[in-house]
Amino acid sequence: MAAAPETIARVAAPPHQGLWSKAFHKFCRDRAGLVGLWVVVLYAIVALGVWLGLWASDWAEVTGPKWGPVSAEHWFGTNLIGQDIFARALYSTRTAFELGLVVAVLSTFVGAVLGAFAGFFSGGWIDELVLWFMGVIDSIPFYLLVAAIAFSLGDSPYAMYIAMIATFWVGTSRLVRGEVIKLKELEFVEAAHAIGLSEVAIIFRHILPNTFHILLVQATITFVAAIKSEVILSFLGIGIQDGMSWGLMIAESTIEVLAGFFNNFIAASLLMFGLVMAFNMFSDALQDALDPRSVR
Amino acid sequence: MAMWRFIGTVTLSSLLLACSASDDAGNSRAAVNDKKVFRYAMGGSPTSLDPVQSGNAYANVIVSNVFDTLYNYKYLARPPELKPGLAEAMPEVSDDGLVYTIPLKQGVLFADDPAFPGGKGREVTAADFVYSIKRHFDPTTRPQGAWLWQDRIKGLDEWKAAGSDYSAEIAGLRAVDPYTVRIELTRPYPQLLYTLAMGFSAVVPAEAVETYGREFGIRPVGSGAFRLESFNTAKAVLLPNSNYRDEPFNLIEEGYDPATQAYTRVAELEGRSPPFLDRLEIDFIQEGSALWSSFTKGDEVQMASLPDEQVEFVLDSTRPVILKPEFAEKYQLATGPEAGFVYSNFNLDFPEMGYNPDPERNARNKALRCAVIRSFDWPARNDSFYMGLGQVFPGVIPPGVPEFDEAMPRDSVTRDVAYAKQLLADNGWTPDNLPTLTYGTVAGVKSRLFFEQFRAFLKDIGYPSEKVVLKRYATFGDIVRAWSRSELPFVSKGWGLDYPDAENTLQLFYGPNASPGSNDANYANPKYDALFEQAATMAPSDERTAIYRQMNQMLVDDCVAVTGLTRMRITLWHNNVIAVPDSSIVGGGFLRYVDVD
Repeated sequence: MAAAPETIARVAAPPHQGLWSKAFHKFCRDRAGLVGLWVVVLYAIVALGVWLGLWASDWAEVTGPKWGPVSAEHWFGTNLIGQDIFARALYSTRTAFELGLVVAVLSTFVGAVLGAFAGFFSGGWIDELVLWFMGVIDSIPFYLLVAAIAFSLGDSPYAMYIAMIATFWVGTSRLVRGEVIKLKELEFVEAAHAIGLSEVAIIFRHILPNTFHILLVQATITFVAAIKSEVILSFLGIGIQDGMSWGLMIAESTIEVLAGFFNNFIAASLLMFGLVMAFNMFSDALQDALDPRSVR
Repeated sequence: MAMWRFIGTVTLSSLLLACSASDDAGNSRAAVNDKKVFRYAMGGSPTSLDPVQSGNAYANVIVSNVFDTLYNYKYLARPPELKPGLAEAMPEVSDDGLVYTIPLKQGVLFADDPAFPGGKGREVTAADFVYSIKRHFDPTTRPQGAWLWQDRIKGLDEWKAAGSDYSAEIAGLRAVDPYTVRIELTRPYPQLLYTLAMGFSAVVPAEAVETYGREFGIRPVGSGAFRLESFNTAKAVLLPNSNYRDEPFNLIEEGYDPATQAYTRVAELEGRSPPFLDRLEIDFIQEGSALWSSFTKGDEVQMASLPDEQVEFVLDSTRPVILKPEFAEKYQLATGPEAGFVYSNFNLDFPEMGYNPDPERNARNKALRCAVIRSFDWPARNDSFYMGLGQVFPGVIPPGVPEFDEAMPRDSVTRDVAYAKQLLADNGWTPDNLPTLTYGTVAGVKSRLFFEQFRAFLKDIGYPSEKVVLKRYATFGDIVRAWSRSELPFVSKGWGLDYPDAENTLQLFYGPNASPGSNDANYANPKYDALFEQAATMAPSDERTAIYRQMNQMLVDDCVAVTGLTRMRITLWHNNVIAVPDSSIVGGGFLRYVDVD
């Protein structure tokens, strides 16, 4: 009697597929997600090229007349002081990627670690402390907090990075905490306890790797959020200091649109829209693919 | 059917009623109440309307209308000229230039205010003037204008040192009788009269200061053409001072020039006594585009400066400045150079580019500064930021003062990349050993572009871009603090003239004024200082002008500053307004002469 169901199960079960390979296949079938990924890769190549000095290295130079029109030489015209708007928009891709990557990686890391500890020791003082901290950060309006951190760090070029990391980890942390509370009751954790592994080792070797699908999706969301926040902060004058970004270009356009010159605005908005849209598509597809409850 | 017709009629008539009601609201109050209302706007709001704290231009506009000063600038004279205000006549000056005897007008009354017995404004006397100047030397009033008279009036500094006791007399500042002021100087001070036209020297009644205390800054009481009705961070409303003296408008005395001013219709004011308005509203609108929209809306602000971004849209040509026909139908226009200029100076306190104990490095630093100056492309700066309308001039004596020298050689404002490169090479400067140049600026889009353009100019002479660094300050106050603490090696700013005398700009480089004073270049040249001191006591003359120009040349030769450009002001106002905008030395003086059809 006992053997029968087991036999049936063995026959009926599809070939074993892990979460990751299942997600990969699911993702490959998501056309919008793939398009998004390719666009993001294209932007990444552009950013890498800027970083290597292959193009847009003349973004700060005056190469044309004031408010020059669109031409073969200047694809998006020139700005108030005669700088090439296309070069500046391309250079801003690097700024966006640098910021997005650094903020996404670090804030996800901080969020994952703190969330995992809070979840693992839920109900204990570590959990209370992390929750209290998250509550404090959540209770302050986001842009006000970022502005306050940026101001308090003065003219440090990393002020905006630090401000974003200090605020963006909270969302990730809440998700991870919830997931860990669920995971720590499962048998493999109990088994790890039974063989005498330390709690830290259990968290890092057994629990955190099982939250990677959440972290990956969170990182892509944070990446986009960082780029969008940069634009707003730079527009407000508390973002990028030395360098160029889409936010600065849009800020620049505020003194130009009155004169009927929209090139800075259009160039920065188009490029930013492309990247944010692509990243959102990619991020949605990833989320669908990694969601075990998703049936698509 | 009848029911529907009824509903239709009711709806239609209520719509019509609503329309006519909104029409009434849309019209300016001037038309509705048959009152003359003029709405003016400024780019910022004053923090205090107490004359002792009227340091900024916005405060000055209101202070000069609510209070009286002994002298004023003639409404129409260009260049600016003084005329008696509260004073009866120009002063009697002793032969040695040390004693000024100033007669005051009799029967001038302060505006009615509860601070006075019975609420009736009393007569203004010489003692009020003495009291008003004394307040600048009383630390409890937090004064901003003491520098004008410090060390200049006999006994005044000692009075302060002794504890600012208002009952104590000051030898050099006395009310001889109720209508005569006597000022005795420690040394000749030819600019004294100009200081008596500034808002700082406005006459205040002691009763009001004592009654309102700190609140006097928002409840000012004076004897000016207007009295303050209300004041907040968005708006000030002024009503005519019913006690204002009867002083018929005289075109000739105000310096009327029919050739250039007839179109403004000021001639229609002849013989009438100002103020001509029933209500003066001053809006504080920070955003240039918002101010411009309010101006073009028609029933709001009636006078505005033309924003650079609108120049091409509004003007048919810039040389000469002509409005497009559709704007000429609605607006009047006046143009003129600002009383001041924009420039940048090196801070010579920094041994990297300024004074260096090593004589050889000192010489190389000077060459480096000269190269930076010659890399600067003034026409490009003018074209990018001032629509090409600014006037570029060498040195620090701007076109707005009588001592301006049109014939001065223009090398220092003429870009010469080859020469600058050669200068660097000859003095051993290479991209590797050039010092880092920190450029400080207030956070903002335009100031950032100023920096980027400057960095691009420098790149052309081989200055590596990574060595030209931006340092941002959140507010204007922050950067002013950095200048006065000598924290920035390169200072970029504008200077507005306090009076039409080149002394006011040359003092920016006078040794004893070094940081925290106005000499934030920390220029130290004993010869320059000696000439400054010599000229400081001289009355305007060819000899003094020659000294001024010699000092100006010294600054150019020592490569102290990247200078300069005087911006062009284009002011527009609605056709139904009779006005001539300020010459911009002391703002706001014109408002008492504004009339509205």
